[in-house]
Amino acid sequence: MPDPEKRFAEEWRNAAYNCFSSGHKFCREVCPVMQVTRNESWSPTAFHANVVAMEKGELEVADVAADYVNCTGCGACELRCPNSLFTGDFYRFRTRTVDLVKAVRGLAVSQGVHQPGWQRWNLLTDERRHEPVLNGTPVDQARVRDWADGLDLPIGGETILFVDCEAAFYRTSVPRSVARILNLAGYKFGLMNEQWCCGGPAAEMGYEEQARRFAQHNLDDWRAAGVRRVLVLDPHDYITFTEDYPKYFGDAYDIEIVLVVELLAELIREGRLTPHVPVERTVTYHDPCRLNKRKGVWREPREILRAIPGLTFHDVDRVTQWSYCSGGGGGLPVEKPELTAKISEHRVEKAAELGVDTLVSACPWSERPLSEAGRARSIDVVDLHELLAESLGVAP
Amino acid sequence: MKYRYQEEMSPPPPQRVTDVAITRFEHVFEVEPGLMTDHVTQQTFPNWDTLRLVRSRADHLAWMHRHFADKVISGEELLHDLDE
Ligand code: SF4
Ligand code: SF4
Repeated sequence: MPDPEKRFAEEWRNAAYNCFSSGHKFCREVCPVMQVTRNESWSPTAFHANVVAMEKGELEVADVAADYVNCTGCGACELRCPNSLFTGDFYRFRTRTVDLVKAVRGLAVSQGVHQPGWQRWNLLTDERRHEPVLNGTPVDQARVRDWADGLDLPIGGETILFVDCEAAFYRTSVPRSVARILNLAGYKFGLMNEQWCCGGPAAEMGYEEQARRFAQHNLDDWRAAGVRRVLVLDPHDYITFTEDYPKYFGDAYDIEIVLVVELLAELIREGRLTPHVPVERTVTYHDPCRLNKRKGVWREPREILRAIPGLTFHDVDRVTQWSYCSGGGGGLPVEKPELTAKISEHRVEKAAELGVDTLVSACPWSERPLSEAGRARSIDVVDLHELLAESLGVAP
Repeated sequence: MKYRYQEEMSPPPPQRVTDVAITRFEHVFEVEPGLMTDHVTQQTFPNWDTLRLVRSRADHLAWMHRHFADKVISGEELLHDLDE
């Protein structure tokens, strides 16, 4: 066995045996990939079992690397796994399927085993410093602040707003809505001087060196501009800044990270924002995986929805929502768009059962696949920040 | 939730509960870290992670009770049913 694989197996063996020996597969039914494929090789359990086989010299990463594409990094399996949920805090040892999947992908890349879509995506990202979210149209540094045209936002300052690639180039009305709302509340913030992709997607697809390089650039840029606080509207960035960056920089990481949804709920609570324009829609809320499951943030989005007059809100049990996913995360749509589409259809089907006309999300990355699936059922997919902006009477 | 590395990585000081358990957050118990150094070493947990698990567990149990248990049956009643 090559050395890196040996070291990998050593590092992950305990976690793998912990899962292998219990083998209860509670994780299986909440996994969005399993729900639509029933392929056991793509189950969280298999992802752990492979490590056991790797340690025994039965297989190499090249044999299984393609299986590890089939994960959106939603974290449902971790939360449903009794090893996390019922004993994880007690032993300080929880199931880390998401980290494991990332680590296997990283190991594959380090061994020269690439997935074609991911390789191309990361190559383009490296060249342009941003993800190629507009297919053929190049996105780059020169256009990264275009979304803010006419908003008159300063550059730098103590607090800045970080806008992910999808929102900066494709879903521009989301950051515009956020900026208008914050201005309305009198909350001061600026933009980054030179904003690169957060590096999170590269890390998720196994391109670790690139991810670290991008992170270092952003941190240096913040420091140079005197930034102390970074506002984040995208749940994926939120994960990157609160899980990847701390891992890279350790004690030197002195930046405060604030999730915009939480900030907005606070501003409403304090009376600094009062939604007053009625929005006549019947909605349900899609908990983005990276907020609900991976961070435990589910109250604030609901607080915001309940503050909007005119809305009829059909909520579902947020524990049940642990098994919902748009399929848009973890690089899945880059490598397997058809699987993402199936997962989205599955999600929208659940919304349709509630008789709603609108599915509200709070994650720019979920909106493309969900909207696509929503069209087939005449369900609008709307972003929470935009909905709030509408009710506050500030057009994007 | 505002994330600050220093705050998340500084857990409240442990209080000993028994020889094998400590507590850092109210009603949250942990294995004495000294006992987890040989075979399975503890992971680095930021504070939010511990609290997320605890809260999710409470939510999950409440959900279970809402869905699977709508009345409480005593052991005596069960035995009585069997006898009939
Ligand atoms: S990940 Fe957890 S729930 Fe799934 S099989 Fe392994 S131990 Fe069981
Ligand atoms: S993180 Fe989500 S998609 Fe990945 S294995 Fe777990 S449940 Fe499945």
